Amino acid sequence: MKISIDYIARVEGEGAIKFDIEDGVLKDLKLNIWEPPRFFEGFLCNRRYDEVPDIVARICGICPVSHMTTAIRALEKALGFTPAPDSITLRKVMALSQIVSSHLVHLYMLALPDYYRLYSIPDMFPRFEPEIRRLNRMKKVVNEVTALFGGRALHPVSMVVGGFTSLPPRDKIEKIKYELENIKDDAKETLRMVSDLLFPDLTHNTEYVAISSPPHYAINEGFIISQNGVKIGEDEYYSIFKEDEVSYSNAKRTVIKGKDSFMVGALARLNLKFDLLHEDAKEAAEEIGFKVPDYNPFHNNLAQAIEIVHGISECRELLDKVILRKPEIGIKVREGEGRVLQ
Amino acid sequence: MVTSGGTPEGPFDVSLIEGTVTKSWQADELKRIREKSTYLFAIGSCAINGGIPALKSTHPELEVGKKVYQDLSTIHSIRPSSIDAYVHVDGFIRGCPPGERDLCEALTSVLSGKQPDFLEYSVCIECKLKGNICLLVAHNMPCMGPVTNAGCEALCPSHNRACYSCWGPMRQANAFALAKKFEAYGDIFRGHNQEVYSIRFCHCRVQKGSRVL
Ligand code: SF4
Ligand code: SF4
Repeated sequence: MKISIDYIARVEGEGAIKFDIEDGVLKDLKLNIWEPPRFFEGFLCNRRYDEVPDIVARICGICPVSHMTTAIRALEKALGFTPAPDSITLRKVMALSQIVSSHLVHLYMLALPDYYRLYSIPDMFPRFEPEIRRLNRMKKVVNEVTALFGGRALHPVSMVVGGFTSLPPRDKIEKIKYELENIKDDAKETLRMVSDLLFPDLTHNTEYVAISSPPHYAINEGFIISQNGVKIGEDEYYSIFKEDEVSYSNAKRTVIKGKDSFMVGALARLNLKFDLLHEDAKEAAEEIGFKVPDYNPFHNNLAQAIEIVHGISECRELLDKVILRKPEIGIKVREGEGRVLQ
Repeated sequence: MVTSGGTPEGPFDVSLIEGTVTKSWQADELKRIREKSTYLFAIGSCAINGGIPALKSTHPELEVGKKVYQDLSTIHSIRPSSIDAYVHVDGFIRGCPPGERDLCEALTSVLSGKQPDFLEYSVCIECKLKGNICLLVAHNMPCMGPVTNAGCEALCPSHNRACYSCWGPMRQANAFALAKKFEAYGDIFRGHNQEVYSIRFCHCRVQKGSRVL
């Protein structure tokens, strides 16, 4: 039997998938990312250092903060610049707000309709109106967090190489803390909703990879670890991973050298560093009976919901630690090399 | 992206087209959509000016491809262009990300049967209305505000950074005059091997006017 889906709906990006199955055994599987290539690595060459974060932000409208932070950190490393502790905290806040926002979109808008055999979000009305309202409440607040420090939620402008060009007034931070407090229950409710979904039963014990920097639930920076004992610095990435081109797809495929594919993302992170989650997230996970290790890839949805609880509580707490100093961006350009991972 | 269950065939009252055309089939599809749509708007800097993907044209095609892929035999990409290079466009909803105001303006105008009133002045006007101190004049920062179409409420200057033109060029922008000013300020505004002003024209490959309904 051959199954061919030419346009995978409700994923970010454009892809197709082909299965070739004989007597119930998978003979061949091809994931073809046919999204037209844009050549970022090519046209970034010879550009000014301070243009890079704004250009790479445009790789994706859902996760611009990740692309920007990666570029900013790599450039700072190359230029031998150490960011102020406050900038590091704020970058974490930015990253958390964006991860929560991305998980929300994935869970409610891309995944949920599948579990109820609906085509899209508009089809979810009126039955799922309370859920969609909950999504809107949460999405609005986390986007406001990104916008508060970045100037706008998508393609932020005040996060630059060296730090932040401006900082919000105290009272706005107090207000957003209050709003984050208000959506904590919505986050837990999201997890309960996701845990009620009927997940296909599947065990797939692949290699889980994440970044780690105990005692924090690493974000933006850390060692690369896997459950099979990999532990390398971020600049040693190519000692273990390799990127292959495949003839049938525009996207490259990354594998662990001498081994095979691996998994990153929410489930990988939980499998590797569950203990370092915010207490609120651990409690919420316990409430629904989630245990690590979990080798069902469909449970990535559960892991995302747990990270939503984590992200909101962690963001709220980090905001207590922010001391607002007048931003100073003292970058001196020099020759150098910097490799970082996000 | 947001719906499964097949692509609707039309006809459409309003089509919003995003993205840069870099494949010939996209141009064909665009023409089909145009035929089936009463109104067609370009939304976002990619569709309007080529946007970031159009930066590829600042290098020779093969050179830029080779930096990304070892084997280019299966990689196909045509010269990037805005969508109005292929079809008639009824209006431009500018910005990267596109602005809410212009989107609402376009859709409510269609609903009420009036001409959309898109902003046709520069970021500087918005910046002055906000009472900002000019970064270009007072702090010698390479601000693209004078040649950039308004719509963002002078977001960057209000956050103490120079505009890099994500809203794209405004009609009749005098980029040459601004480039000369940058040049007079010195090397910090210069890219490698590039025209002085093009370095900050991230989102503006070509200078062009905008049309309305
Ligand atoms: S700061 Fe920029 S946008 Fe504002 S007035 Fe000066 S040149 Fe114009
Ligand atoms: S880059 Fe310019 S057009 Fe874009 S948000 Fe900033 S000020 Fe506005």
